[in-house]
Amino acid sequence: MSSSNHKDHPALAADFNKDEPRVDWHDETLWWVRAKRDRAAAQVPDWEILRDTASRIKDNVLSNLSGYLRQFEEEATRNGIVVHWAADAKEHNDIVLSILRNHKVDKMVKSKSMLTEECHLNQHLHDNGIEVVDTDLGERVVQLAEEPPSHIVLPCIHWKKEEIGELFHKHLGTPKGNADPQLLTYAARLHLREKFLTRRVALTGVNFAVAETGEFVVCTNEGNADMGAHLADVHIASMGIEKLIPQRRHLGVFLRLLTRSATGQPITTYSSHFKRPRPGQEMHIVLVDNGRSVHLGRKDFRNSLKCIRCAACFNTCPVYRRSGGHSYHTAVAGPIGSILSPNLDMKKYADLPFASTLCGSCSNVCPVKIDIHEQLYKWRQVIVQAGNAPAAKTAAMKTMTWVLSNPGVYHSAGKAGRWFMLNVPFTVKNKLNAWYLQRELPEPPKESFGQWYKKNKRS
Amino acid sequence: MNSRDKILAAVKANQPEPRDLPPHHNGSVAPAEDLTPKFITILEAIGGAAFLVSGYDRIATILREQFPGAKRIVTSCPQLSAFAAASSAAAALAAITAGNPHSFETVDLAILPAHFGVAENGACWITESQMIERALPFITQNLALIIPRSSIVPTMHQAYDRIAELETEALANPSDRRRPSDLGAHPTSPQAPQAPYGFATFIAGPSKTADIEQSLVLGAHGPRSLTVFLLDENLSDAGFF
Repeated sequence: MSSSNHKDHPALAADFNKDEPRVDWHDETLWWVRAKRDRAAAQVPDWEILRDTASRIKDNVLSNLSGYLRQFEEEATRNGIVVHWAADAKEHNDIVLSILRNHKVDKMVKSKSMLTEECHLNQHLHDNGIEVVDTDLGERVVQLAEEPPSHIVLPCIHWKKEEIGELFHKHLGTPKGNADPQLLTYAARLHLREKFLTRRVALTGVNFAVAETGEFVVCTNEGNADMGAHLADVHIASMGIEKLIPQRRHLGVFLRLLTRSATGQPITTYSSHFKRPRPGQEMHIVLVDNGRSVHLGRKDFRNSLKCIRCAACFNTCPVYRRSGGHSYHTAVAGPIGSILSPNLDMKKYADLPFASTLCGSCSNVCPVKIDIHEQLYKWRQVIVQAGNAPAAKTAAMKTMTWVLSNPGVYHSAGKAGRWFMLNVPFTVKNKLNAWYLQRELPEPPKESFGQWYKKNKRS
Repeated sequence: MNSRDKILAAVKANQPEPRDLPPHHNGSVAPAEDLTPKFITILEAIGGAAFLVSGYDRIATILREQFPGAKRIVTSCPQLSAFAAASSAAAALAAITAGNPHSFETVDLAILPAHFGVAENGACWITESQMIERALPFITQNLALIIPRSSIVPTMHQAYDRIAELETEALANPSDRRRPSDLGAHPTSPQAPQAPYGFATFIAGPSKTADIEQSLVLGAHGPRSLTVFLLDENLSDAGFF
């Protein structure tokens, strides 16, 4: 935005759109995933009941989060898990670093955790001399390329296989020019197996944590969270405080929804339930707030804390599919990221609620029924009222307000507009008019509705 | 105030008015349906293989055919320990020791019992005491699971009901809770479930990834194949051999 020094969503999206065939490919790939989600959902007769139930379970969680957090802490501690509390990203990163230092370890494997992306953990550990290896294949690709994931479920969805072939040739020594997914995956398997077998500390994310039993569930297709955790002496699990659910049987509802919504699979290959460390192992869980407790107090926006990170709203979003994950300049992109991020920093992310057509498709696919598009609309109002709207948009809106509230001005403006478009179209059809850049303008009518009505009402 | 108290106080101050939990949802499934065909269809669709078998001899025969090159086979099924020992090089097996997860890195095939299957997604529920070592179901190159055919439940709702039942049953028989100490002779079998777990997982198909241009590749980090045996002792072997 005008107030900060980084490129905003429109500028980053414009960069992404310089290569049009690539945008089409990105768009179609994600739409294909969305279509798989539709087929999977259609096979579950009680799908809508599940969505409704999940949403209401989360209502209950948010209304008693402090109670469930205490209960989880008590049960997990009883199970032999060490529970840590982190008020913000820095405290989370410091806790992880201190566990590594206590064990005199300078290398760690990590499975997918968007929370650690949000906290910029890798950078913090790197600055302190710790080497982190991301073990999810897609995350390893973007890590080797030194960029953040562009999608929370499919981290390297913006990469073509030929480019991954080139990257692996450089870093893993695969044959030059070979872009066979089978061969590249096998190379990564061998490369990462060595890491799993030699690292003493593994960090994983958390999909769900159960207050009733003190256990937590991690879902992967690759098996990388399990390979890391079961081979390491120390397992650290990082979770946002909103990931709690009250009872174990509620997992039945959420596990039926999660993967069908994410990739169209009936369930992930592994849904692992961690309850106690294995003999001789240490298990830590870090409960992270980082703005969530503040968000909980925002009546219009708290529902976004129900999110289970399936990314169905990414795959369906016409703006995400055509602008790419990096255009959102945040750890969680897409529609859900656009309503979560302004909570963390309203100035920095003031552009994101505008990165939407408000078509509502995100809300329709959301497995926990978050009113995403309505929140996008509400954030726009909050942002404009707080004075964070871009200057050009503010000026345009002020002009429109003046025109629309003065009937005389309104009529002459309409007349002028029609005259310009009919007689000197180049004055509006040019590169200076942002509205014209990606659109053809309609043929102007010869008269306004007002004029037409005056003429016809007598006859 | 420390972070714990600070977070709890902020959450308590900001959380909305109490909202009740919704009524328990149990899916909508016809109870009398034979779930075997559905389980097999889904499992095959997600890259797994399924065999309906009459007993352990039949399982050994099929595994011998499917994995002729397997040199290191481990199992927690006493009925298959002779098969595993006969198929493996003794020296290779000797290096694999429970309690040392890294030593399982060389395993070609692990044959483990699981508690039950789930028809709607092809998953099997397996708890720690059935795994020999937590790492084993993930680190082995190939995995075979054995469940009673009669154990298949329709959806994840019945799965969690079953998990709760298994826990109650096992708590009533605390002797079943001991940790397996060696590879061959511990008492786990599909008929003697041990449920209270420190670790347990649903396994649905082989390890997989589609991170490279959405092309599905089996065998990401974990097993490259998953075979599930549905054990039905009332089944006739006629026609199988």
